[in-house]
Amino acid sequence: MLIFTLRRISLFFFTMLLLTILSFSLSFLFPGEQLINLTGQINATPEHLAALAHQYQQQASIVSQYFSYLSHLFQGDMGYSMASQLPITTEIFHRLPATIELTSVALLIAMFFGIPIGFFAAIYHRKVPDNLILAIAMIGYSIPVFWLGMLAILIFSIQLGWLPSAGQISLLFEIEYVTGLQLIDILLSDSEYKWQAFQDATRHLILPVIVVALAPATIFMRLARTAMLEVLDTHYITAAQAKGLTFAQIIYRHAMRNAVIKVIRDVGLQFANLVTIAMITEMIFSWPGIGSWLIESIYQRDYTAIQGGLIVLSTFIFIVHIIIDFVYAALNPLAREPNHGT
Amino acid sequence: MARDKVYQEEDFPTPLMQLWHNFKQPPVVMIGFSCFIFLIILAVVANFITPYSAVENHLDYLLLPPAWSNEGNISFLLGTDNLGRDMLSRLMQGASLTFGLSIIVVAVSLVIGVIIGSLSALTTGIKSSILNHFLDVILSIPSLLLAIIIVAILGPGLENTLWAIIMVLIPQFVHITRNAVKEEFAKDYVLASRLDGANSFRILRYSVFPNIIEKLISQATLAQSAAILDIAALGFLGLGAPLPMPEWGAMLANGIDMFYIAPWTVYLPGLAILFSVIATNLVGEGMRHALKVRKES
Repeated sequence: MLIFTLRRISLFFFTMLLLTILSFSLSFLFPGEQLINLTGQINATPEHLAALAHQYQQQASIVSQYFSYLSHLFQGDMGYSMASQLPITTEIFHRLPATIELTSVALLIAMFFGIPIGFFAAIYHRKVPDNLILAIAMIGYSIPVFWLGMLAILIFSIQLGWLPSAGQISLLFEIEYVTGLQLIDILLSDSEYKWQAFQDATRHLILPVIVVALAPATIFMRLARTAMLEVLDTHYITAAQAKGLTFAQIIYRHAMRNAVIKVIRDVGLQFANLVTIAMITEMIFSWPGIGSWLIESIYQRDYTAIQGGLIVLSTFIFIVHIIIDFVYAALNPLAREPNHGT
Repeated sequence: MARDKVYQEEDFPTPLMQLWHNFKQPPVVMIGFSCFIFLIILAVVANFITPYSAVENHLDYLLLPPAWSNEGNISFLLGTDNLGRDMLSRLMQGASLTFGLSIIVVAVSLVIGVIIGSLSALTTGIKSSILNHFLDVILSIPSLLLAIIIVAILGPGLENTLWAIIMVLIPQFVHITRNAVKEEFAKDYVLASRLDGANSFRILRYSVFPNIIEKLISQATLAQSAAILDIAALGFLGLGAPLPMPEWGAMLANGIDMFYIAPWTVYLPGLAILFSVIATNLVGEGMRHALKVRKES
């Protein structure tokens, strides 16, 4: 387990190194002055700019420029947004929690529905339910998410009027910012309308979550189906059958556990995909997250914001990736120990 | 009566022919494949067979519903949009933009990715390890975010988005080529031709590529459905094709304001994207199924 952890940590460091190099070089690649792209100070006076150039060691070699950029990053200074002239760090701290909330709920929902349905399809392999599920899955991951989002708004918010179509919570409720995660903040607050606010926030969450979760859920269905089919094909299942276990016993006690492990290994890879979908969904549902902020910032040519957003969003994805790796290792002894005697 | 030895010479089908043989078995795959071919033909000839120009305004017929509704007009089969442009013509020309360009994008990134991938498969040690990690980093950045960054560098516009999507797709091809080439190089027949004195490039050209091409094609179909969705998504966000262009994603974005009065301006481009992605995915699915069948036999 120690080696496993060390390996993950070293991978994380290497990844962060590459990522910061990438984001540092972006400031050269974006149009305009490199220093201004890096700091976002578009209205700075020449004296101020000279001070900044000194701070970022512009006269020194490119390597020390990179290191001074890194040290600014570690102090939480990502420069100022070119559009709003607020520090990028505050902007991100206000928006990232909404994205975390949306993506993590969507991921859980996608796994919760996708994996059992995939198992169900595998049990009825090459029968009607299997084909039906495969067909639905095909439509699910082929549907363009912006179209799906618009249809969802049209049907459920406008025609049926069941659910709100935009935002995170009704403006009537005033929620104190503690963690940034809306649902937790509501539970922590001591407002007398706590439960109404919680209900309202949940109602706002339902539509975007369904839209984000649909495509990953169908992918989980396929992954779970393949994993289950592989497991059902192994020798230990045959051995269990030979011992006279019933089909239900085999599925619940042996097949399901081993198949879930296989699916969880691939969840991390799907997460980047899920974040892409969430970015567009945030845009459609006016969700105040980091994805819609990034898309806005490209309209406004806010290069500092794009750099900061790249680092934060990718780091978030890597952290989720690593968490899932650890969950996988915790569930599967074969992954954390080297194989002996194979 | 066994007819094994009717002909003197034995005929071994190439890997590609074997793939085709297994590919054409399931009927649903053939339906998808015919839709795929139909879209390719449409993408090529759309400019010559559309009833109207895609940007021509018919000011007497603004927001005309499709012909099957009561207010429809048969000369505008799928209705018109808010500027009186014929939806059918726009959708048909959109096929050559969204679908046709996605094929070009995939082809370009396939070529570049295969070249980088096979070169990197031939190198070993720290260089290839760094490249491997670099690819992992790139692959775990969301594709849309990467495309947005590249568009931010190059500036918006259809051509720049195409370059962005090409660059987003290249790492996937590098990854799959690298793994496939490495796998093949470990096999005995490569060793045999190496003992015959063939150098690495000759082995690549004559021994390895014919055996991995089907994997590349199967990856290409995956990449293509992603490319269609990305072109449309960037068009929808206003970063790709400019508004007058009949690109499906841009058409959707154009229809959004009139969604409640003229829902067909949103339904139809969305359906067109869905149709082309499903056709592509069916082809890819059939390809992977055929590969599996061949491996098992």
